[in-house]
Amino acid sequence: MSSTVYVDRGSPVHRLNPMTKLVAMLCVIVIVFALPVWWVSGLVLAVAIIPVAVISRCGRTLSRISATILLPILVVLFVVQGLTFPGGKTALVSWGVFTVTSEGLHFALGIGLRLVCLVLASVLLVLTTHPGDLMSALTARGMSPKFGYIISSTLQLIPAFRDRANAILLAQQARGLSVKGSPLRRIKIMMPLLGPLILGMFTDVEDRSTAMEARGFGSTARRTSLVPVPDSSVQRVSRWVMPAVSLAVIVVPFATGAL
Amino acid sequence: MIRLDGVSYAYPDAVRPVLENVSLDIGRGAIAGILGASGAGKTTLAKIMAGFIPAVDGGELSGTVSVDGQGMGDLPLAEAVSRVGLVIQNPFNQISGARYTVREEIAFGLENFGVARPEMQGRVDEVAELLNLGPLLDRSPYELSGGQQQLVAIASMIVLRTPVLVMDEPTSQLDPAGTRMVFDVLSTLRGTGITVVIFEHKLELLHQHADALYVLADRSIVAAGDPTDILADARLAEWHIGSTRYTRAARAAQDRGLLAGLQHLPVSLEQAVAVFADDGGAR
Amino acid sequence: MPHSTNGADSRRARHIALVILGALIVVATYLYLVVWRPTEIAHTSTGRASLIAIGGYVIGAVLLAVGSIHRLPTTTVALIPVAIALNIVVGQIVSVIGLPVYLDSIGTVLVSVLAGPAAGVVTGILTNVIWGLTLSPIALPFAVVQVVIGIFAGTAARWGMFRRVYTAPLAGLVTGVVAAMVSAPIAAFVFGGATGGGAGAIVGAFQAMGQSLLGATTLQGLLSDPVDKAITFTVVALLLIALPARFLQRFPFARAHRVFGRTGPKAAQTALAREG
Repeated sequence: MSSTVYVDRGSPVHRLNPMTKLVAMLCVIVIVFALPVWWVSGLVLAVAIIPVAVISRCGRTLSRISATILLPILVVLFVVQGLTFPGGKTALVSWGVFTVTSEGLHFALGIGLRLVCLVLASVLLVLTTHPGDLMSALTARGMSPKFGYIISSTLQLIPAFRDRANAILLAQQARGLSVKGSPLRRIKIMMPLLGPLILGMFTDVEDRSTAMEARGFGSTARRTSLVPVPDSSVQRVSRWVMPAVSLAVIVVPFATGAL
Repeated sequence: MIRLDGVSYAYPDAVRPVLENVSLDIGRGAIAGILGASGAGKTTLAKIMAGFIPAVDGGELSGTVSVDGQGMGDLPLAEAVSRVGLVIQNPFNQISGARYTVREEIAFGLENFGVARPEMQGRVDEVAELLNLGPLLDRSPYELSGGQQQLVAIASMIVLRTPVLVMDEPTSQLDPAGTRMVFDVLSTLRGTGITVVIFEHKLELLHQHADALYVLADRSIVAAGDPTDILADARLAEWHIGSTRYTRAARAAQDRGLLAGLQHLPVSLEQAVAVFADDGGAR
Repeated sequence: MPHSTNGADSRRARHIALVILGALIVVATYLYLVVWRPTEIAHTSTGRASLIAIGGYVIGAVLLAVGSIHRLPTTTVALIPVAIALNIVVGQIVSVIGLPVYLDSIGTVLVSVLAGPAAGVVTGILTNVIWGLTLSPIALPFAVVQVVIGIFAGTAARWGMFRRVYTAPLAGLVTGVVAAMVSAPIAAFVFGGATGGGAGAIVGAFQAMGQSLLGATTLQGLLSDPVDKAITFTVVALLLIALPARFLQRFPFARAHRVFGRTGPKAAQTALAREG
């Protein structure tokens, strides 16, 4: 019972060390944002993100989740910037007071493709990496175990919390409180929902911190981990190579004056 | 093994103390039950034994608490918890959530104390075998029943090998099946050398499992001794603790003029049967 | 207390340095993007500005979180997951019900008020990290906004603005203004103003009236954030009144700064009531 989107397909991408995937994702994001031309994003998409998605066997889930996130943004982006981009001069279509400019569409294309890369790369990481493994890997590299605890614990709490909230919401509706009406009315409905939810949360906190302390959470010892995180020398090398290549890709065009 | 001498405690800003002059001494490997009405200060006493008071809650603590002859007074909490384990009422709140399987949940404390992986694996397997948790090890602790979750909480403590384990009403939020699971663990722990202090309301089960009982009332320990003697004590009603159904039945019978010659009221099934046997023989 | 050695002192100094550095990077990022205004934005692309917006804000936020988390006692660390779950679950319910506000920072404000700005900063950043892990990664670049909320709510609590229900919304308004200003460069340069249907339409309207992209996202934020934060702060102030007073004593920050203005006798009664 967890609230993450992780799907275990057992692919080679799933078996990679979480740090390798994290570094790769960061490199992709830095490249598409540092080289502000639309075809760089397109190229990264074609040669890096899509092949990895295919290998990971998560392609369908990836497209479904990403489409839900991206479609509204992309539609608004193209409509709004196509019509109202401040730098827009070249009119493509005019329709009454509305004018679509090519500068606006070009601007939207640049931003849109970058967002596609950003969303696909990060959703791919989350789909193929168990959050527990990611936390273990980061803690092993010196991240405070408190971060790992908070993130893992929250991920497991959210479903329980949502159930509790839904139960209260249903109870409110059963008592005839409609969730329709003016905003003020709807906020009034929210308050009796929040009260029990938060009071319940507080009574639990004392218990939870006691239980954690009893298991040495306050200990200053260097943490160990029961489950080892898989790694290989190839991956260790690649975690240095990927940032180096990215840096070169970003710096060389500037140095040679190509951009 | 765990010994309290003249312990008094008041919460910060409190007008009067919760506990006054509490003394008790529980031997190695013993299973000691502590009875007390709600509000008698059971949770406070449990947290004092486990080193959480005054480390977390502050307040004024006087007297001494010692485990295996060593004072707990000046230990930082992280040290204290490696001597005395603590299991609390609500099983759900004890799941750290930091890990995803029962196996990792049990190992969480060992990870915090930096125990090396091979030793960690050995200890987790050992505890899982002791408490019969084998089939649950790869499941999520959130999917378990309350009783199973409480077993995992107990296992998470035992795996740390603290010489003393304090349980603060571990069955108060469990169904009868879960309650039985927890008390079965007490039988399992007998003979391992772990000293168990259990705060409980379930008198008949305590009578079966405890070596000694203590009564916490009026801010102090007012009675201590053999479970049979304590449970037969007429003052239990004054302390708002009640009595077992066998004692209640015998008392009701006496009220109606039966069992007039009975000196010691029965506190368990066996003793009740014995009373019937005696009575039958007398006739 | 475990922190008493020399090593602990130097670690503490390092954490404070991280917090200061993180704050400087966030401020510098904002100043560069807004005051200095990179010229390229007006033309074709916002590539480098968006890299600086994401990079500066994310790195700054991470440094602030890393520097802050070490100071938090276990009681506070145990509170944070519940607060984050609250942020996310209430934020989602509100958007499902269709309220015109976000209300996705109630947990952050609550933690800041009880346990101080450092705790609020950690809650805020990790809320967006978890939102990114579970719902949508577009929340991640906005993590810095939650940092602002945490710092301002904690400071407002320290100044006693949560003692009365009518001073809380004032603090919320101010927080909302700053949050809107800080988030505007991300909305503009990373998302081209298209952070959501309604917000995008408003940005378009402002652009059509002759505003720059950044101007339009700033104005859009100023329309929604102050109101949202005023409501959030009020909700938290109301919740705090309903809260059993004995929880205060577990949070040294709330005790030390008399966040609720309650003193002696009441605290004593509560301490008495908690035995058992």
